[in-house]
Amino acid sequence: MLDLSSPSARVVFTLVLGAIALFLFFPIYWLTISAFKGNAELYRIIPTLWPNAPVLDNFVTAFGRGRLLDQLRNSLVVSGSAAALNTMLAMYAGYSFAKFRYAGRRWTMLLLLSAQVFPFGLLLISLYPLVTELGLIDTHLGLTLSYIVFALPVSTYMLYSYFTQVPSELIEAARADGAGELRIFHTIVLPVSVPALVTVFLYGFMWSWNDLLYSLTLIVSEDKRTIGPGLLLSYLNEVNADWGGAMAASLVASSPIVVAFAFLQRWFIQGVTAGAVK
Amino acid sequence: MTQVTGNATAGGDKPSRLRVSSAARWGGLKAGERRVGLLFLAPALIAFATVIAWPFLRALGYAFTRYDLQTPVPRFIGFDNFRMILSTPEILGSFVTTGIYVGLATGFTVLLGFAWAMILNQPFRGRGAIRAISLIPWVLPSTVSAFVWGWIFNSRYGLLNALFLELGLIDHPTAWLSTPNGAMAAVVVTKVWLSIPLFMTFFLAGLQSLDREQIEAARVDGAGNWPVLRDHVLPHLRPVLLVVIVLGVIGNLQHFDTIYALTGGGPVRATAVLSIEVYRRAFDQWDTGLASAIGLLWVATILPAAAYYLRHLLRGV
Repeated sequence: MLDLSSPSARVVFTLVLGAIALFLFFPIYWLTISAFKGNAELYRIIPTLWPNAPVLDNFVTAFGRGRLLDQLRNSLVVSGSAAALNTMLAMYAGYSFAKFRYAGRRWTMLLLLSAQVFPFGLLLISLYPLVTELGLIDTHLGLTLSYIVFALPVSTYMLYSYFTQVPSELIEAARADGAGELRIFHTIVLPVSVPALVTVFLYGFMWSWNDLLYSLTLIVSEDKRTIGPGLLLSYLNEVNADWGGAMAASLVASSPIVVAFAFLQRWFIQGVTAGAVK
Repeated sequence: MTQVTGNATAGGDKPSRLRVSSAARWGGLKAGERRVGLLFLAPALIAFATVIAWPFLRALGYAFTRYDLQTPVPRFIGFDNFRMILSTPEILGSFVTTGIYVGLATGFTVLLGFAWAMILNQPFRGRGAIRAISLIPWVLPSTVSAFVWGWIFNSRYGLLNALFLELGLIDHPTAWLSTPNGAMAAVVVTKVWLSIPLFMTFFLAGLQSLDREQIEAARVDGAGNWPVLRDHVLPHLRPVLLVVIVLGVIGNLQHFDTIYALTGGGPVRATAVLSIEVYRRAFDQWDTGLASAIGLLWVATILPAAAYYLRHLLRGV
């Protein structure tokens, strides 16, 4: 699209590319190498650009004192269930919007999508007493249910866009054979929608895995904490900041989601941009 | 138009003979279709009512009550909370701080996200690999992003201090996060960094549907890079640009995590945006009434952007 045949255009292009790449990727490099630096190398005014004496001390600290394993397990349980629940709710709703026509459909859809723009912080103010009244404060179940707030609207829309592309003839043929509506959805529509379902699952998983606000507020006990507040409260207090441990724990805590994206990236990009770009 | 971009408008199925299965058809075809449609919708609707609509309405109600540690049962006080907001400069200041934060974060993300998309749309060696890792900042947990930039902005051993010392811009390490401007810069940079990948993705999807022949023709007529950008690329991306700006504004107005983790709203109140303000009032001071009132005004600031975005999503539904 750009014409880079002239040397000056090439120079500008390379400079901008280099600058943005440095801004995007150098912090990740810095996080990674800082995790492998010992304290003597970490706490220097002019730092080394490569760990001259790489150590694993920070990882030992992270897994030992930092309760990292507990937090990872808690996050996995909460994010996994939240993502599964979210995908289930969104797939039925998305199918309803995509393949059935009824009065109030547009309004319901508007209502559901509008939830995406309510500030999560405002909802939390009244979710907190609600969760408390239900006896679910400081439980993983309470946190899981609250996470519906984050992902349900967009997930429903993503699956709605996907289901509109599933040929109606496929569904009608099954009806002609006398199949029931639920069976049609489960045995005909869902199997051809696996990419979309995976995307939506990952989307819900990412929101809950990466969240800080809700997990910080709705979970109180140290042994139930997920990684967001877990990392924050373990490493970043003014008295005793352990940056090496923080970097090591961050690397470990980020790896599941980064690996998942490495595999599912292409599907994911299609799902997220669907509808919003036109 | 590619598969990525064409989905949403395909919603209008033409009416067909078999709109519901025979078992669901009692009461007529139309009634049957409505019944089945609503049945599929029910689980999401119940969840929506419980964790989104009901809490929202309750917060709406709390805004007109005194509901704090001294008043465990909400008591109606009319508009007192709003009067309180208008007469408290710190809270009004939060609106200004939010405006600055959202403006800076959205502006820089749009600019850099667009530049990055233009670059990654250009064929060059290693592009595939760079595209693949470009999403990483976006998928990292918020706390991790805050750690990454908190370490770079560290008061003594941060990379930024080292860089500025080497360049001779400062004489001794500076505690950036303890100065109002430094703290604002840090929270904006962090948010821009983690949002560029998503914005780039949207722009890239938009760029891929650009008519290449049209640009070739312009090139033949002797148009340089700037005229092509101005007369062809930007007009084509206008709708995407609007959506991206609106999404950016909504997201940045809401953003809490990295600001809280990096500065907690400080120093003093330099980065106390509305999300932080509402959180502090609600969960540090336990003044639910006042927090809800501020939250309500916060929703009002989001509404224009939200209305535009929803209309865009629902076109053709």
